[in-house]
Amino acid sequence: MNPDLATAPASSPAPAPLGSGVAARLHRLRQLPRDKADTLLLILSSVMVLAPHLTHLPPWIGAMLGATLLWRVSITVRGSRLPPLALLMPLSLLAMAGVYGSFHTLLGREAGVAMLALLLAFKLLEMHAKRDLFVVVFLSFFLLLTNFFYSQSMATALLMVATIVLLLTAQITFQFTGAMPSLARRLRLAALIFLLAAPLGLLMFVAVPRVQGPLWGLPGDAHNGRTGLSESMAPGNVSNLAQSEDTAFRVRFTGPAPGKDQLYWRAIVLDEYDGRTWRRGRSGRSWQQNRRGIDAAELGATGAALRYQITMEPTNGRWLNLLDVPNQVPQVENNQAVASEQLEISTLYPLDQRLRYDGSSVPSHRWQIGADQAELRRYLSLPSGFNPRTLALAERMRRDDDQAGAVDAVLANFRHDRYSYTLEPPLLGRDAVDQFLFDTKAGFCEHYAGAFVVLMRAMAIPARVVTGYQGGELNPVDGYLTVRQSDAHAWAEVWLPARGWVRVDPTAAVAPERIALNLSRALPPRAPFGLQALGGMIGGFQGDGPGWLASLRDNYSALNNGWNQWVLDYNPERQRGFIDQLGAALANWRSLLALPVLAALALAWRWWRARPRLDRLDALYLAFCRQQARRGHARAPHEGPHAYARRLRGSGAKPEQRDAMLRFLAIYSAIKYGVASESQKSAALATLASLLPRSR
Amino acid sequence: MLAAPRAALRRIIDRVLFKLGDSEPGETLLTARRVFIVPSRPGLAFAVLLLLLFIGAINYSLGLGFALTFFTAGCALVDMYLTAKNLAGLRLAAGHAPAVFAGEPAHFAFQVINRGRRDRYAVWIDFQEAGAPRHATDIAAGTSSGVLASTLSVERGWLAAPRVRLTTRFPLGLFRAWAYWQPDVKALIYPFPEAEGPPLPLHGAASEDGHGQVGLDNFAGIRSYQAGDPMRHLAWRQIARLDPFLGGQLVTKHFEGGATAELRLDFDQLPATMDLELRLSRMAHWVLQAEQRALPYLFCLGRDEIGPALGQAHSAACLQALALYGLERPA
Repeated sequence: MNPDLATAPASSPAPAPLGSGVAARLHRLRQLPRDKADTLLLILSSVMVLAPHLTHLPPWIGAMLGATLLWRVSITVRGSRLPPLALLMPLSLLAMAGVYGSFHTLLGREAGVAMLALLLAFKLLEMHAKRDLFVVVFLSFFLLLTNFFYSQSMATALLMVATIVLLLTAQITFQFTGAMPSLARRLRLAALIFLLAAPLGLLMFVAVPRVQGPLWGLPGDAHNGRTGLSESMAPGNVSNLAQSEDTAFRVRFTGPAPGKDQLYWRAIVLDEYDGRTWRRGRSGRSWQQNRRGIDAAELGATGAALRYQITMEPTNGRWLNLLDVPNQVPQVENNQAVASEQLEISTLYPLDQRLRYDGSSVPSHRWQIGADQAELRRYLSLPSGFNPRTLALAERMRRDDDQAGAVDAVLANFRHDRYSYTLEPPLLGRDAVDQFLFDTKAGFCEHYAGAFVVLMRAMAIPARVVTGYQGGELNPVDGYLTVRQSDAHAWAEVWLPARGWVRVDPTAAVAPERIALNLSRALPPRAPFGLQALGGMIGGFQGDGPGWLASLRDNYSALNNGWNQWVLDYNPERQRGFIDQLGAALANWRSLLALPVLAALALAWRWWRARPRLDRLDALYLAFCRQQARRGHARAPHEGPHAYARRLRGSGAKPEQRDAMLRFLAIYSAIKYGVASESQKSAALATLASLLPRSR
Repeated sequence: MLAAPRAALRRIIDRVLFKLGDSEPGETLLTARRVFIVPSRPGLAFAVLLLLLFIGAINYSLGLGFALTFFTAGCALVDMYLTAKNLAGLRLAAGHAPAVFAGEPAHFAFQVINRGRRDRYAVWIDFQEAGAPRHATDIAAGTSSGVLASTLSVERGWLAAPRVRLTTRFPLGLFRAWAYWQPDVKALIYPFPEAEGPPLPLHGAASEDGHGQVGLDNFAGIRSYQAGDPMRHLAWRQIARLDPFLGGQLVTKHFEGGATAELRLDFDQLPATMDLELRLSRMAHWVLQAEQRALPYLFCLGRDEIGPALGQAHSAACLQALALYGLERPA
């Protein structure tokens, strides 16, 4: 029962002669005694559990795991003794010290995973009873879970399924007491167990009440490496985001989606400028001082509201994206959202999980049309001593009586004065706006937005920078709009009398296709790794390839989104929604009718399975007896075919009928009690069937 | 002090919950109703593991973690079903139980029959009183497997086979399923033969004739061995000339005539003051002695007289009479 724990060196196979090839070694592997093969299977499943962890564990741990497993394999194959505890104890203490050295803690997520991985490897070296096997398998299951900290993709899920099946196989293997089927059959049994478990698992996944985590404070390293918008804008940070194809959020509109040029996803307003960096202004504007709702009168919506649902990837920030401009603060599960005076929506706790919320926005409005001039003054401030050429230009273009005209003039200037749009703008010096507007004339949305706001303020028009996302890609497969990090954008808002705050996107003036289409189409494709051919190959994935590639991409994206919506982000809220929907779907008369029908079908199937299975011959005989019983000559329970035939002979039937009866019974008893080949039997069955109607 | 109520409670549980009843003649089908199941110790540990996985999944909001937890839990449930199914549907039949002397282990042969289409693996089978089961067997689909279980015999008479328990943990070992079966089979237990008993009562008829030993005179040559010939009559000198493995034959010395005077083993001749069981023991001892020395004997027990004769059938009849003396005979 113990897995190769019996330590008989004598049983180790003789060393293979030199030059025996791989085939011979494989053969030897197949010839391994059973307990050794069992142990190798367990080691293999541990390898499958540990392998995905190698991508994030420090290299020395990976090396140590590999060495330990190899050691274990060599012990198994050569049949030598397991190392004594006196050797294992110091080794594991040393490994613990190493973990402390690498992570500076033994707690926390990363260090915990490293410790667990090492524990599994060492436990394989310390297996003395059946109990230890279970410990190894259970540890493996737990390590399987920890891998989800790093990846929860569909590929990871497939790997998880394969690993579970292998672990089950190992567990089954150690349960045999006598005969053991081949590995293939054990694998099949494990796969069968998993397949049978799948509907149960699915049901539990959908129906077991979900609790929103975390249950306690997470270690500081719980959410590493998330991307998102930042609360300041210096040349360069939005373009960093623009390089990332990661999904920022997905949107589904309740009604038809507005045009791409309306899709401005507002997040943060930057209104303080120090000559280089734009920041969120007013230091005292802390979370508590924000208003908890949005004043409808102040917003002055002039059209119907658009409604939509957003699924936002975790950012670890606190800013929600909403279509410009929101007229309601969304409800957020286990968190609280508030609106600032500038209609930025932020939450009480950082967004460390994927979040779903319902949004409502009004594209046309007269926002703060009656704003106090004193209040607006802070949107006019500029640092002194910066950008003299820009200030001079503004002085020339200033038109106090027609501010809207001045805005148009600046935009026209951008459009016609050979400004260009690039992801890799030249570096700028101290007077960045001056250099950009007059010298380099090439930049990214943040350059345009920043320069535009500086110009506006210099012309005494209240203005501010807004960052967020622009556009998004509509997936025709599932109707979701995907907004990627590369859609990050910056634009401007100006306050005009009689119109309130108005969105102005200077980038649109320079690169209108950036707004109408997507960034990836607006920029000339750059060759990945500098290889033009490679760019051509994956061109489809940049959005300008042939149609089938684009549709492949849409399908993949829809699949991925479905995965996110239904597997990774199936939270209490979603669960309630789904169960409500299910309830609604089941509550109509058709579903109510279907239930008893299904139940009846199930019962019928059970009955069909359990029905007595009669031989065709016996069935014919029974039919014959029933037929005669209807004539009034039922077979007595003790009567065999011969006695029955004797009785039926004198039953007063017509001669041809009597002949048929007697022939029937003669053939029946000959086939039933005599020796007949298969072909004779089938011929006799046909004859009996033809005799049956004639004996009636 | 609590032993009596506890035993009573145990009996009630056995009757009500486990539906234990009388012995079941013929082939017994283990229906699903007769199979009981509880989590094994690793199964309980597995439940703790599932809880840990669940908490981990909640705490870190791992969608796949929930999937892992629930699918693994599903596997445990399927294991429960399969473990119960590994016993349910098996058929059990009792086989032969040879007679033994009191104090020796009595062996009972059982057949576990699998008429289904699934192979059954790792089914442990033993008497319930044995504690941890000692025999594991696999029963492939459409075959049967024999198991020899033993229990220590204590008293002479009929020993009914104790209750049998079948246990299995297959396939994953997370659950332990078991079923009880009361086989309808009895083993005959002969009285314990007295160890250092007095010699055979050879004074009597034989000594009157003046013969030293009955049946050992008049050597009449050798004949080929027949099953049942006593060992002491084998003609070793002749046998030794040619190894039986090399074509030699076993040969037996043949005696003719000799003392016809018979050995009489009479229960009533034993002093009535002796303990009954001791008297039976002594009779058993004498029967064995007479068989060993190949002396035909007349066996008298109360009104029964058996023989005179010699051989296995005769001794079996005598020992059976001794075993059942004073006990009611089975129908």
